[in-house]
Amino acid sequence: MRQRILPWGALTTLCIAINALFVLFPLLTLVGNSFSGADGIGFDGLARFLATPDYLRGLRNTVVLGVAVTVAATLVGVPFAYIVARYDFPLKNFVALLPVATIIIPEVITCQSWLLVLGNNGFVTKALRDSAGIELPSFYGWGGMIFVMTLVYYTYIYLGTLAALRGFDGQLEEASRSLGRTPVETVFRVVIPTVAPAILVNAMVVFTLVVGNFAVSIILGNRIPLLSIQTYNAFVNEMGGSPVMQSTLSLVMITLVAIVLFVQKRFVERRLVQMAQGRAPAAVRVASWRGMAFAGLVLVVVLLSFLPLVTVFVAAFSESRGPLVRWGTFSLAGIERALTAGVDPILNSLKFASVATAAGIAFAVLASYLIVKKRSAATQALDYLVVLPLTISGTVLGIALVQAFNSGSMVLTGTALIMIVTYVVRRMPFSIRSAASSLYNIPDSLEEASISLGVPPLKTFLKVVVPVMWASVASAFVLMWASTLSELSASIVVYGGGLETLPIAIFRQVDSGRMGPASAYAAVLVVLIVVPIALSVKLLRIRLFATK
Amino acid sequence: MAAITISKVSKAYGKAAVLQGVELAIENGTFFTLLGPSGCGKTTLLRTIAGFISPDTGKILFDGEDVTRVPVHRRDIGMVFQDYALFPDKTVFANVAYGLRARGHDRSTVEKSVAAHLDRVGLAHLGDRYPAELSGGQRQRAALARALVIRPRVLLMDEPLSNLDAKLRVTMRETILDLQRASRTTTIFVTHDQEEALSMSDRIAILDRGVIAQVGTPEDLYERPANAYVADFIGAANVLPVRILRAAGEGHVIAAIAGHELCCLGSGTARGGEDGKLIARPELLVLGEAEAAPGTPNVLKGQVARRQYLGARTVYTVRIGNELTITAERHAGATHQPLLAPGQPVDVVVPRTSRVVAA
Ligand SMILES: Nc1ncnc2c1ncn2[C@@H]1O[C@H](COP(=O)(O)OP(=O)(O)O)[C@@H](O)[C@H]1O
Ligand SMILES: [Mg+2]
Repeated sequence: MRQRILPWGALTTLCIAINALFVLFPLLTLVGNSFSGADGIGFDGLARFLATPDYLRGLRNTVVLGVAVTVAATLVGVPFAYIVARYDFPLKNFVALLPVATIIIPEVITCQSWLLVLGNNGFVTKALRDSAGIELPSFYGWGGMIFVMTLVYYTYIYLGTLAALRGFDGQLEEASRSLGRTPVETVFRVVIPTVAPAILVNAMVVFTLVVGNFAVSIILGNRIPLLSIQTYNAFVNEMGGSPVMQSTLSLVMITLVAIVLFVQKRFVERRLVQMAQGRAPAAVRVASWRGMAFAGLVLVVVLLSFLPLVTVFVAAFSESRGPLVRWGTFSLAGIERALTAGVDPILNSLKFASVATAAGIAFAVLASYLIVKKRSAATQALDYLVVLPLTISGTVLGIALVQAFNSGSMVLTGTALIMIVTYVVRRMPFSIRSAASSLYNIPDSLEEASISLGVPPLKTFLKVVVPVMWASVASAFVLMWASTLSELSASIVVYGGGLETLPIAIFRQVDSGRMGPASAYAAVLVVLIVVPIALSVKLLRIRLFATK
Repeated sequence: MAAITISKVSKAYGKAAVLQGVELAIENGTFFTLLGPSGCGKTTLLRTIAGFISPDTGKILFDGEDVTRVPVHRRDIGMVFQDYALFPDKTVFANVAYGLRARGHDRSTVEKSVAAHLDRVGLAHLGDRYPAELSGGQRQRAALARALVIRPRVLLMDEPLSNLDAKLRVTMRETILDLQRASRTTTIFVTHDQEEALSMSDRIAILDRGVIAQVGTPEDLYERPANAYVADFIGAANVLPVRILRAAGEGHVIAAIAGHELCCLGSGTARGGEDGKLIARPELLVLGEAEAAPGTPNVLKGQVARRQYLGARTVYTVRIGNELTITAERHAGATHQPLLAPGQPVDVVVPRTSRVVAA
């Protein structure tokens, strides 16, 4: 029996301990703090939440915003996926770029760049004002938020629907047609009902992302009460005092997300249709006006997705003063400052992202292996623990970590370590999911073959499993690198003096209306994200997306 | 190469006993088969011998040495898996070399052994290919070479042929046997296919829900099945309820069935006055025109109920009295007898070598 305990038992224990310390303990601290009163247990936080109209408005607005963005993203993503899956037309290959835009452009940059276009001093706003005397409505507020978030989040629904449509058995449609349904009736009676659960699953993911969204909400929210911003503000206001309100608001957010995820797991995911076999119908080639219309649509979506890149790069190399960018001028001053006097955020970002990515992926490979291949009650527990962060938005995670490691025997606030822990935990469910996906395809017999040939278990894992997992590990690596460099909502809560990262720096520059330095940092950040990814995709032949 | 002893091995998953007091002695150099229907515990027993499963009780001995607590990677076994389990990221050569390299053999030894074994399985020219570029049969050969190249003490194979098409399966039987005979490696082969077992094995153990039902040579099992389960599993058999009347000398017993009397071989455990089971192989029953006098020993009088014409042979279902049906076969060729028609009265002659076992 000894061979059973070592090494996997020990490693499982280690993984659970790490999760207990950095996920469970902070969460419990947060829950404890939200129910603490003057003497022990209390419900002050909850009472104040229910008695403050602003908080209730925040809850309502958050739900309204979530629903609005989800609906808008669905309206964009689903038809788009249908067109891409079923038709062939000029310029169609460009759609492959769309998910790339989501990965390489951090939200905070998307936001900032749209301000440069449509904000009070944006070039479109000004052009219309100066040439035609048209005054665009303010970009701050509901319109701007819904617009930017839809652009940021529609890819989730687009990719999910596309995958479902590509797995759809075309014979079902043929059966429906042979039974006398028209093509249009068939789409509504056969295709849509079959892929609906897949759409809904992804729509619910979008809803939870909107609830937790920080960057877009705080930059464009224009003082509209929203839970994520109220939580962050409570954290800032309660600094040094009792953390009751930040904890209570965090708990409300967790509950909201947990309810959605529960419904998703319990009622929606089980309705996902597994197609036994069959091949999706081939894409139909369309020409003439329909082809042109589809091509135009793709072009518009691609342009909208990549416009932020162009804008910030142009802005980074333009003269600027405060919120004003002088379009058409050229200056290296902004970039120069970012690379000299203002270089700290760049160095910090690089340092944290490298360490966090390495640590996060190593952990994900190990944990996913234990969960998939070494089933036991303990690894089952680990499986539940590692998905917990899905219910926690970045802001809440940051608050929980600060509360847990602000005092006591382990003080981590203000250290680089807590930044790294934050990144690793935030990304954990996703990295583990992508590492695990390839493990399901590795039969147990492969390892057994190696062990039977005389190679001990741990060495077998390194020699046999890791090489086969390599492709998916590499893509998890790339995604973690990008998302860690882009991370703002959690790191802005936990960071301290000397730990400022690029997204934080960009946010602070935008917040104080300095578009020049913000653009310079944004350009640097995009380069830091894109260049290593491009190199590794090229050199290691990584396929970033399972969906072809 | 080693003699394997399995001593009182039991294994349960929760309340389900999967192996119950399994006792086996496998001689050095033999081709030994574990045979039984799906779910009877073959894989569990094989994996216990390999060391992937620790038995709840009992011992596994290799050449008298207790290996029950020795981890798999130190047992010196070769294993061939149902899905071949070739490392997809390694070439055929690297797959076969894997075990030798793990043992720290030097480069030239590795290259020589691998080349020799690839040659032996007919893959000498495919060493640079990846598993995905091989056919099913070639993968199977590569897996065999990989297991044999380390000169294991025992070669374990779990249904290695079940993923191949019917024709290839027959060729691979010969390949496996040739390799086994050449290396004299003690081999334990798991299958649910009785034909595979009969044609390949020196000895066979038949498993019945985690218990060894019988161990013996293929002839033993076919001709002298210890019980109805074994008889039914090895070849087809009519297993019919009889009443044992008395002993009849020379190991024979007289038994009553549907108003007829039979004189057949009795097994040690079948006693007069008890219920028993008649085991009669369809291919050994003789079907004739209904001409024997009623009461002739070993002749059952009946009526053809159904006929299945299969070319080389014809299978008849014959109704005896009201309750009993029996299956009998007639082979084409030798006799050129005309086919019997359904409804036609017939005599079924039960040979005296058929066996009656305890119920
Ligand atoms: N890990 C396990 N947990 C629970 N039951 C098992 C496990 N492995 C095998 N069994 C059960 O043990 C029985 C024998 O399985 P197995 O040895 O695989 O049979 P065979 O190889 O003869 O088909 C089956 O009923 C199976 O369901
Ligand atoms: Mg089996």
